[in-house]
Amino acid sequence: MTQVLIQGLMLSGLYALIAVGFTLIFSVGRVLNLAYGAYLMLGAYVYYYLVQSLHMPKIAGMVLAIAVGALAGWLKYKLLVKRLNGDAVAIEISTLILAVVLQSGVVLIFNDSSKILLPIVNGITRFDGVTITHNLLTASIMSWLILGGLLYFIRYTHMGRAIQAVSMDTKGAQISGVDTEQVNQLTWMISGALGAIAGVFFASYTQLSPSMWVTPLIIAVAVVIVGGIGSIVGSLIVAHIIGFMEISVSTFIGAELRGVFTMLLIIGVLVIMPKGLFGREEL
Amino acid sequence: MEKIFTTRSILLWILFAVVMCAIPFLAGKGFLRICIQAFFLAIYAMSWDVLSGRTGYVSFGHPFLVGIGTYATAILSYRFDMPLIASIPLGILATMIGGTILFLPALRIKETYFALVTLAFMELIYQLTQVVRPDLTGGTRGISGIESITTGAINNYYLSFGLMFIIAFSLWALMRTRLGNALSAIGMNEEAVKGCGINTTKLKLFAFLVSALVAGIGGAFSVHYFGSLAPRNLFDINFLFTIIVAALIGGSSTIIGPMIGALFLTFLLEYLRPWVPGTERFFIYGIVALLLYMYRPSGIYAIFWEVVDKFKGKNASSIKDSTSIQGVK
Repeated sequence: MTQVLIQGLMLSGLYALIAVGFTLIFSVGRVLNLAYGAYLMLGAYVYYYLVQSLHMPKIAGMVLAIAVGALAGWLKYKLLVKRLNGDAVAIEISTLILAVVLQSGVVLIFNDSSKILLPIVNGITRFDGVTITHNLLTASIMSWLILGGLLYFIRYTHMGRAIQAVSMDTKGAQISGVDTEQVNQLTWMISGALGAIAGVFFASYTQLSPSMWVTPLIIAVAVVIVGGIGSIVGSLIVAHIIGFMEISVSTFIGAELRGVFTMLLIIGVLVIMPKGLFGREEL
Repeated sequence: MEKIFTTRSILLWILFAVVMCAIPFLAGKGFLRICIQAFFLAIYAMSWDVLSGRTGYVSFGHPFLVGIGTYATAILSYRFDMPLIASIPLGILATMIGGTILFLPALRIKETYFALVTLAFMELIYQLTQVVRPDLTGGTRGISGIESITTGAINNYYLSFGLMFIIAFSLWALMRTRLGNALSAIGMNEEAVKGCGINTTKLKLFAFLVSALVAGIGGAFSVHYFGSLAPRNLFDINFLFTIIVAALIGGSSTIIGPMIGALFLTFLLEYLRPWVPGTERFFIYGIVALLLYMYRPSGIYAIFWEVVDKFKGKNASSIKDSTSIQGVK
């Protein structure tokens, strides 16, 4: 039982970190960035290349990975999202195509065998018979810190409030003097950076492979759908629901079935209450 | 109302059939095998197009439909030794049941959310096929050694072309009726269609069933042609990507477009092989698709008509364009 609790808590932290960048874009731009998983892949590969091939210090690798993620987010906004002019379906399809392009780009550079990313933080702790890797522990602590910081930024800073305003009503925000273009750019950059951090931790939790973007994308989608649009707290709660569900399912029922219940949850929630558990009244 | 069959269009269809039937006399077996792949892709793309290109309900779950068709047919034929005459129709029937399941979320949700649910369907069935009754589905390895309908590239060429041609022609004729118009109208403004007193739920169910029927036919026949199936090849984002891209860059909601798109993409992939072997081809392929989609969302078919009209010296604005997904919005 302790094992389920601890593992569930840590996995949920990781999932929350994966999902939050996606939620942010979804609530501000109102577009589904299906290439979100590619940020995770990019971040993880950049970190892998810098730290494990060039033997740079881990901190430098992390910082550069975040920078690449932010740059990727910014470029995607400038080159793709802006041109398609808010057409949600077109963005959805073109980001899906982009994700496949990036995946093959990674195959081109790093070939398609999966690689092991060494733990970012070494060591393990035993607690009540449960083994906790410091790596996953750091990931979940980091995710709590980042989420806390983000929540503070969104709620209490000027820029954060502007982001919130744009997420509620773009035109209204414009009338009130918010530079929506700037807000959008910033949000896409933050989302890319968050994706890159999540990617490094996710890759060290599982492994590095060119198709690694699919699973986190689906987790992010699940969290956002079940949590509801525009609710960061909602996605946090749902990340925990999904994290604990997966751990419980793989402990008590069978590890093969862990994904099945997540999918059933997405389908069920969307069919029964399309606006999600904590979402705003819309759709 | 427009006449469904004009002499000119019928002649064009016949010409198309004659040209395609002549190819085996001119080309080698390798070329024919590429064509067969393209034909199956065209069937899937048309299936996607009937549903998503027309009604605007973007489906990311087409691998789910195709997968049901292939799995059902393969299991019935390989595990239960059923004759082809029974396994294929039953497989198609199973796909239509799958289409009805896929339809349920469309009752309440739209656009991006709908696409996501269908994506979840695809992931769900991918995980289920590996876990539930692996003795039937073959688990992660899938099934191989499935009986084939005919042997030889030429026979299979005619078989797959025949299938594609019949499907394309029937869909084309269907879409020129009032029913087809109503489906396109849903894509443009569903509320307005409802306001005209038309039962959109029935229409949507119809579109899903037709789409599933076509996907099922494609899936059931292709598994007998390829002789094997594996869950990772079937329920895969790359497969989904190929279907959607074929339909979109060919020209969605045109029936002919997805066919052109499928042929173009399959041959692009094959002819890139000498220069870029391996999965890297998807890189170029993806970039081509992305650029075409972003700058020419109405697809190759529309570009073709633009060129034709330019030669005829017509005004470029008279093209029947903007029926793509982007235009619909």
